[in-house]
Amino acid sequence: MPKVFYTQPHGSERVIDAAAGDSVMSTAVTNGVTGIVGQCGGTLSCATCHVYLAEDDLKYFDPPTEDEDDLLDCTASDREDTSRLSCQLILREGVDVHVTVPDEQA
Amino acid sequence: MSSTEAPTTTTETEDTAYPFGPVSVNEASRRYAAIAADRPMTKMTMPFGGDVWVIHRNAAARQMLGDPRFVREPFRTGERVVPYFVEFPEFLKTTLQFEDPPQHTKLRKLVQKSISPKRVRAMRESAVEFANHLIDEMVAKGSPANLVHDYAVALPIQMLANLLGVPPEDRPKFQKWSSATLAVANMPEEEVVANMTELVGYMMALIDERRKNPREDLLSDLTNAQHKDDTLTDAEILPIALVLIIGGFDNTANFICFGVLSLLKNPEQLKILLEDVEGVAPTAVEEILRHGRMAFGDTVTGGGGLVPFVATEDVEIDGHVIAAGEAVLVDPASANHDGVAVTDGEKFDVRREGNPHLTLSYGLHHCLGAPLARMEMQVAITELLKRLPGLALAGEPKVDKNNLTEPVVDVPVTW
Repeated sequence: MPKVFYTQPHGSERVIDAAAGDSVMSTAVTNGVTGIVGQCGGTLSCATCHVYLAEDDLKYFDPPTEDEDDLLDCTASDREDTSRLSCQLILREGVDVHVTVPDEQA
Repeated sequence: MSSTEAPTTTTETEDTAYPFGPVSVNEASRRYAAIAADRPMTKMTMPFGGDVWVIHRNAAARQMLGDPRFVREPFRTGERVVPYFVEFPEFLKTTLQFEDPPQHTKLRKLVQKSISPKRVRAMRESAVEFANHLIDEMVAKGSPANLVHDYAVALPIQMLANLLGVPPEDRPKFQKWSSATLAVANMPEEEVVANMTELVGYMMALIDERRKNPREDLLSDLTNAQHKDDTLTDAEILPIALVLIIGGFDNTANFICFGVLSLLKNPEQLKILLEDVEGVAPTAVEEILRHGRMAFGDTVTGGGGLVPFVATEDVEIDGHVIAAGEAVLVDPASANHDGVAVTDGEKFDVRREGNPHLTLSYGLHHCLGAPLARMEMQVAITELLKRLPGLALAGEPKVDKNNLTEPVVDVPVTW
């Protein structure tokens, strides 16, 4: 069962046991993780599930598609090299994921 | 307890009939929770368009709103009447709200860049400035004031005007057009048509002007979107502009008013907000979106909700099959008080974390202006209550039931 480590901007951390096939966004929303809104439900039309993915975890995911890349330019908190939309980070068995939630989402 | 006595429970058994009302505000909150605990949805016959499934549970609502097998095409083409309380204004069916992918995706993608969280963040400073300008004017004029006219409607119109690139001095015209084009009662057809024609003429002239002389605004972005397959025709731009203009400020103004009323009714919550405005404003606004409607008036009527969809095939949601061709909608008031998703839903709690309300919907069709609406509410409510800590109601607030968005039209206040 993959684990997701969510770090809030002020440093507190929550660890959620997730299901393979779910996204980092849906796992956050289902478990009430603060700071991830995910208003469009993963249809790439809101930019409110922005996270900073730990550098060591970048290798587990394909780079952003063109649509995700466009939306990453629209996020409320500044985009960084590790910025991803968490609805596009699909979990798989044996891979734990570490993300930091930005200051602002919407 | 003797065996002949009826068993007692610690909580009263709530009536779970739906639709219901009018009942007291607290009772409405409890009923919504009881209905959601009892069943995921209820079939309701609407005054127009026949039967529709109304979803009560938060998780079931999200599942439906996130499922592409629910579409709006039959409403758009006119094959089916929209099941609703009132007859849906015809032109609304030509807007983004009634499109499905792939056309919806194309249009939405173009607009959302201009109204994105990032763009909205850049507008916050000017919103604060304008809110304070409006408060200055109110103070100069002296109390009592009509908070709707002098403040709650004026701010979102100014912001939309800036965003779209329409002159703010035309504000009275937008209000007139909005009340006419969204009229659902008590207005002769000729008057609605005359207003619509006027609005369309105005917007077409502006679109033409922005195509020739682009500026930094949404209309210019849309008219000049030329890359790849993104070129838009006037017939595509017009409905986007219309829905933003006439749909964009009534709803925001309503929730600014509901927010102020909720905080005045709950002074301990107002105190919590004012002690840490920056920290609490974001969660306070989510709570106002979830529960703020309950601060308006003494009673609540339960029934209906957001714009419906139609199932393209049989789809099972939370153990219920919505059959192909059946209509379905979400009642956000129910979903916002579903005890599984919200603890103590009858309480107004400005610090509520992880607020799962569905007032701005969810999925493909979630409110396009959500980031803007959130920012405007945060700014409008906090600036007003910071500047006028003695704000109080000076009479009964009034709502216009003859308009689709049921705008609050009068909130008399003093300070």
